[in-house]
Amino acid sequence: MTRAASGRAFPWDAVGLIVLIAAAAVAPDVLRALFGRASVSYLSIVTNALSLAILALSWDMLARTGQLSLAHAAFYGAGAYTTALMLRHLELPMWLGIPAGGVVAVLFALLLGSMTLRLRAIYFAIATLAFAEVLKSIAHHAPTAFAGGNAGMNVAPLFRPAFVAGEMERWEVAFLRNEAYFYVYAGLLALTVLVSMALQRSRLRHAFTAIRTNEDVAGVMGVRPARMKLLAFMLSAAGVGMLGAVEAHRIGSVLPDQSFAVATTVLALVTPIFGGLYTTLGPIVGALGLSSVQELLRRVFDDGYLIGYGVVLVMTILFMPRGVVGSIGYAWRKRGSGPSRAAPSAAPGSDAAGAPTRAASDAPADDPRAEAGGDA
Amino acid sequence: MSVLLRTSGLAKRFGGLAAVDDVSFEVQRGEIFAIIGPNGAGKTTLLNLISGLLVPTAGSVELEGRDLAGLGTAARCHRGLGRAFQVVQPFPEMTVRENVLVGAMFGKAGIGRAEAERRADEALAHVGLDRRADDDAEELTLMEEKRLEIARALATRPTVLLLDEVMAGLRPVEAREAVALVKRLRDEGLTIAFIEHVMPVVRDLADRVLVMNYGRVLTTGSYAEVTRDPRVVEAYLGADPEEATP
Amino acid sequence: MIDPTLVLQALVSGILAAGLYALVSVGLALAIGVIGIVNFAHGEFFMVGAFFAYQLFVSFGIDPIVSLFLVAPALALIGAAIYASTIRFVLKAPELNQMLLTFGLGIILQNLALLVWGGDPRTIAGIPYRSVGFELGPISVGLVPLASFLISLALVLGLYWMLARTATGRAMRAVAQNRVGAALVGLEVNRVYLVAFSLSALLAGIGGVMIAVIQSPTPTIGLAFTLKAFAIVVVSGLGNIRGVLFASLFVAIAESMVATLVPNGDTLRNAVFFAIIFVVLVWRSRRIA
Repeated sequence: MTRAASGRAFPWDAVGLIVLIAAAAVAPDVLRALFGRASVSYLSIVTNALSLAILALSWDMLARTGQLSLAHAAFYGAGAYTTALMLRHLELPMWLGIPAGGVVAVLFALLLGSMTLRLRAIYFAIATLAFAEVLKSIAHHAPTAFAGGNAGMNVAPLFRPAFVAGEMERWEVAFLRNEAYFYVYAGLLALTVLVSMALQRSRLRHAFTAIRTNEDVAGVMGVRPARMKLLAFMLSAAGVGMLGAVEAHRIGSVLPDQSFAVATTVLALVTPIFGGLYTTLGPIVGALGLSSVQELLRRVFDDGYLIGYGVVLVMTILFMPRGVVGSIGYAWRKRGSGPSRAAPSAAPGSDAAGAPTRAASDAPADDPRAEAGGDA
Repeated sequence: MSVLLRTSGLAKRFGGLAAVDDVSFEVQRGEIFAIIGPNGAGKTTLLNLISGLLVPTAGSVELEGRDLAGLGTAARCHRGLGRAFQVVQPFPEMTVRENVLVGAMFGKAGIGRAEAERRADEALAHVGLDRRADDDAEELTLMEEKRLEIARALATRPTVLLLDEVMAGLRPVEAREAVALVKRLRDEGLTIAFIEHVMPVVRDLADRVLVMNYGRVLTTGSYAEVTRDPRVVEAYLGADPEEATP
Repeated sequence: MIDPTLVLQALVSGILAAGLYALVSVGLALAIGVIGIVNFAHGEFFMVGAFFAYQLFVSFGIDPIVSLFLVAPALALIGAAIYASTIRFVLKAPELNQMLLTFGLGIILQNLALLVWGGDPRTIAGIPYRSVGFELGPISVGLVPLASFLISLALVLGLYWMLARTATGRAMRAVAQNRVGAALVGLEVNRVYLVAFSLSALLAGIGGVMIAVIQSPTPTIGLAFTLKAFAIVVVSGLGNIRGVLFASLFVAIAESMVATLVPNGDTLRNAVFFAIIFVVLVWRSRRIA
């Protein structure tokens, strides 16, 4: 079964992005028109979905080089604390905290990335987890006057729409505030999507995939693994750092356990694995799917709603290791082939082809189905 | 003829074990150079040292007269060192062409997309995989995978190509094809150094042969010379080298 | 000027704690060495053991010493069930899938505990021997920590004996050294895995019962102890089951020293483990050329 050569495919992703942007532009007003007062919370829910999408897509970008990070809570917290600290100690415009959060997260990523370059997948994961926990510890122990220590710090909101009696209802103030945040998140997501798409269309996609599959072989072919891995780290952390900063304003505070919560890391990795790794669409699909489930779970269980994510992760690994988008894509690609073309069940940790392929190739010319598969 | 690749006193120790010990040899430009020896003689380690996958504990490697010390695998590739691995590992998530494209795009600095695709197609045609270019790499037969491995290395436009036991697992028909391919590559100007166990192939292809045992150089010379050397025969446990098979 | 008595006390506390840490870590080492799976959920077995002990005490008034004999088979069963229903299927999958699976299992277990027991610490109060201690010169030694140390040591040494002398133990070592070879000689590899995994859960669970008496557990201690076990296993060399005792001593004493001697050190206890893991992993990776 052959596949159309890459690069000549219809630019579905660009079309999709335009559609998404258009939808985002009108979404708040549509919601308000349809649901009135209830739209305030619906808008908040949609914003949460956007937040998850940004997190998931950013994590995926790092995963493309084979680095499955358990440190994303650290980048998120770094962004959050950056804006909080800037607010507390510097006299700068509030919104500057957002790009600053991104920058600080990138710096941490550079630090962590350069130290973990030679670590194999699992040990990389453990080291990143340890790193994140150390950062959380530092936040706990920071001097209270400087960074709030255990109690954290308050963070002023970005938007404070004024209530004008007679011209609007009370709930519309909340709506305007949520709407403003919605646009910020949407903008951040659009930016992340653009970066992801640019990556997928450039030669970096090949480099990342090569490194992910086999770093040694990639190196021997001229790909510089260190450079690529660090680049992926930086791109991944930037989005998460900015997200952390924005969320700090929206939530209104930063706290060590909250800003550096392991839950953030869990969300960051389960979502793209469920949705489909190494694509732009996968993490977004995952975010849309899981955030709606999350809302449900959060209403039923307060503490412990993460159990849903655990179940999703386990089920995905067992039954659908390529994720939603990946499984669909794989089935589509293999639709013409005979059953003899069973490939090894690729998955997050996909390695080079192993025994199953070898067995299938032992009788190539003799197997009529194999010939037919190649010609379709 | 000038010296293209030279190693001097190359050594690699793992703890107390010397996998490679004081290995020095030269590969002339345009020749086919074979490295043979019993299992465990350190041949693959030697190749890994030359490629840059391992850092030597002693000695040096020079390509075109320039020392490669401190350079990583990617940098050595840019200088012209190509490498095909023994256990072929194509990138399974990509098509055949995409696999080769990686080498074309990154094998040398500053190759644009269009030029890279040209080089990739050229390399594919060279090994006869052009008709399979759009297939997924995981669907290839063993022989095709080996061809892909060579194509990937070729796409990086090397000056010297290092091959590691390409003939392993091939049927006689396929082995003959592989030998023909290697000869063709040499005729087009490529220098080749290869590890091999299949002696008829070595006899067919090699201009000069290096014999290794226990990490050291036993002797160098033409195929006829080394196979007559009693030490070489003994190293192979007395087996007639003519009949040694993988 | 550092008070030498303080140092000595820290040393003793560290040594006593090392027993429990070794118990938990040796189970993880077993899973990694024999089955080849890095079990991110290992600490959760420990946590479940602690909460089972708590619940047994609160609902039925069962003394933790008795609970040890109830929790052990319960955890073994849970471990076996988890192995049979999930882990068994990813043994041939890439390592990362295995890691993610156990990570997911850990999340499930931890949040299950949160749902059942809530996030607050649960104390097993009202046990007569809980605060008993005695003086060895200037050093005070708690009865419970001492008992945990001795029980843990006995169990770990028992495990070492089992690995060296019994048929099951030899089978496990054979599998650990050469999976394919072991299967070829007729060893039922799957059964060995099952036993190893159940055993690792059992050992962690016993450790949990003991910690429930020493501290007041919350559902989050699972992750903390997973990381602690990792620190120890990493220091001793992954898959090296015998080195765990010494690594536990080293790590436990380090933690105790920091907690006692560094100002504000008690809250930094966990950070010690994380720092050790990180430094050892990074340092080791750089030594490989």
